[in-house]
Amino acid sequence: MNKVLTIAKRELRSYFDSLVAYVVVGGSMLGLGVWFFLMQQGGFWQIDRASVGRMFEFLPWTLSAMVLPLVTMRSLAEEKRTGTLELLITMPVTDADVILGKYLAALGLVGVLLLATLIYPIALFVFPFHLGALDWGPVFAGYLGTLLLAAAGLGVGLAFSAVSDSQIVAFFFTAVTLIFLHVVGNVVELIKGPVADVISFVSFQTRFAPFARGLVDLRAVVYFASVAILSLLFAFRSLESRKWK
Amino acid sequence: MSSDVMIQTQDLSKSYGSFKAVDRISFEVRRGEIVGFLGPNGAGKSTTMRILTCYLAATGGTAKVNGKDVFEDSLGVRQSLGYLPQRAPLYLDMGVLEYLRFAADLRDIDASTFKKRARSVVEVCGLAQVLGKEISELSHGYRQRVGLAQALIHDPPILILDEPTSDLDPNEKAEFLEYLKRIGQERTVLLSTHNLNEVEAACARAIIVSRGRVVADGPLADIRAKSGAVRTTLTVSAQGLTGASVSEAEVTSAIAAIAGVSKVDSLPSEGSYRLDLASPQDVDLRADLFRLAVQKGWLLLELAREAQALEDVFRDLTLGDERKNRDLTAA
Repeated sequence: MNKVLTIAKRELRSYFDSLVAYVVVGGSMLGLGVWFFLMQQGGFWQIDRASVGRMFEFLPWTLSAMVLPLVTMRSLAEEKRTGTLELLITMPVTDADVILGKYLAALGLVGVLLLATLIYPIALFVFPFHLGALDWGPVFAGYLGTLLLAAAGLGVGLAFSAVSDSQIVAFFFTAVTLIFLHVVGNVVELIKGPVADVISFVSFQTRFAPFARGLVDLRAVVYFASVAILSLLFAFRSLESRKWK
Repeated sequence: MSSDVMIQTQDLSKSYGSFKAVDRISFEVRRGEIVGFLGPNGAGKSTTMRILTCYLAATGGTAKVNGKDVFEDSLGVRQSLGYLPQRAPLYLDMGVLEYLRFAADLRDIDASTFKKRARSVVEVCGLAQVLGKEISELSHGYRQRVGLAQALIHDPPILILDEPTSDLDPNEKAEFLEYLKRIGQERTVLLSTHNLNEVEAACARAIIVSRGRVVADGPLADIRAKSGAVRTTLTVSAQGLTGASVSEAEVTSAIAAIAGVSKVDSLPSEGSYRLDLASPQDVDLRADLFRLAVQKGWLLLELAREAQALEDVFRDLTLGDERKNRDLTAA
């Protein structure tokens, strides 16, 4: 476990030493601000409700299309390209340590981003403004859902980073996959039957919806966790496969 | 004695599809030896080293490092060795000290031990002036030193270095080999290179591989003797003792007539004739050459006998590799 943390610490430092962390956190906060106050039915003030629900309309999309692919693209692809992976793996660490360390670091960075967004409910409803009595239930559920969605998406990103030597390719495939998993939920409204059931089962959007309304859906928790675990296992196998190629 | 064997491979093989990168390589390296692992590019040096360091898995045979099997006890193997891959791939965004700290953390070295070890590797590798710098700011030479420091931080009994000097300038190379000798006094070192001077400078023993196989293994003197020839070089002034000029043809033909001379090559030089003679190992030409010079009134500027250069042996043993590269009919 120590080694996982050592690797995670290094990765996290590397995020903040490069532009990635600032682009991710800064860009997302800027986008969130524009969305929150200006777009969608005229913005926060026009709706006139004590709710930050619109935050959870914005975050899943931004995470899927930009943040998660951006955060995971380098993780393994870049290390394979530059050869640093060889030095890392020939230290007394297991492949699982490497995968988990990188995963934790990516989750940590997204965690920082989510913490930064807490400024919205706090600034608007606690201090310095008191715009009403905020119902914190949906806020916490929303954060939990977002974190779970991020956990699953980061797993997918890491898996693509493990099979590719190029950050760009890893970014592209991760973004396309996550966007697909997201929008596929919209198809359900057009078709019916078992296919629709399957689609709504795998869609991130459908799975995330209850959280945004303040419900913690246990099936969704299990689903996101499963996606994360399967992706990490895949990444692990892919890293291990270097030995046999 | 067997506990003295630090690295041992037995019929080690690695295939990529139908291509055999390593083909049944067997060798042993004992405690305290610095062994040069030689071969042309693509001969299987790096692949062998990557198997020994548990980065790749062999497709056949076994390899043991410090008595532990690379497959069965991969973590144990990696704990007991320090490895510097080709071109020292380090995290460029880290500082030198920070990187060493990272390597030490991954090797479970506590803070006080790290302090002691860091002081020693910084001294041995000559890093005192760059400790605070970021690795991306360092020259290749210094990066290589950081790579070596990283490999030494846990005081491993075994060092595996893959072409550690390939990016260095001649000064850095000489210094690096100097470090290596200091470090190698109480360690086992396997050093791959295709630069033969380095092997001659730092190693007592060499293993030569070609196309995935071991083609020579033994003390340098034995390997040199393998070709069974010695070289004698001599330089004769174009002006004789009495001032009369001497022609090259005259010198060459007179020398070629000496019993035991199997080949005469003329080397470029100005105002003199420089000749490179080959002869069987049990023949010493020097006395005959001196007598000949005296008799003919030549001015002898240089006369030296040396076992055949390692380079020639190397070329003899591995030439097939290159020939194959240039032979279109084989493809």
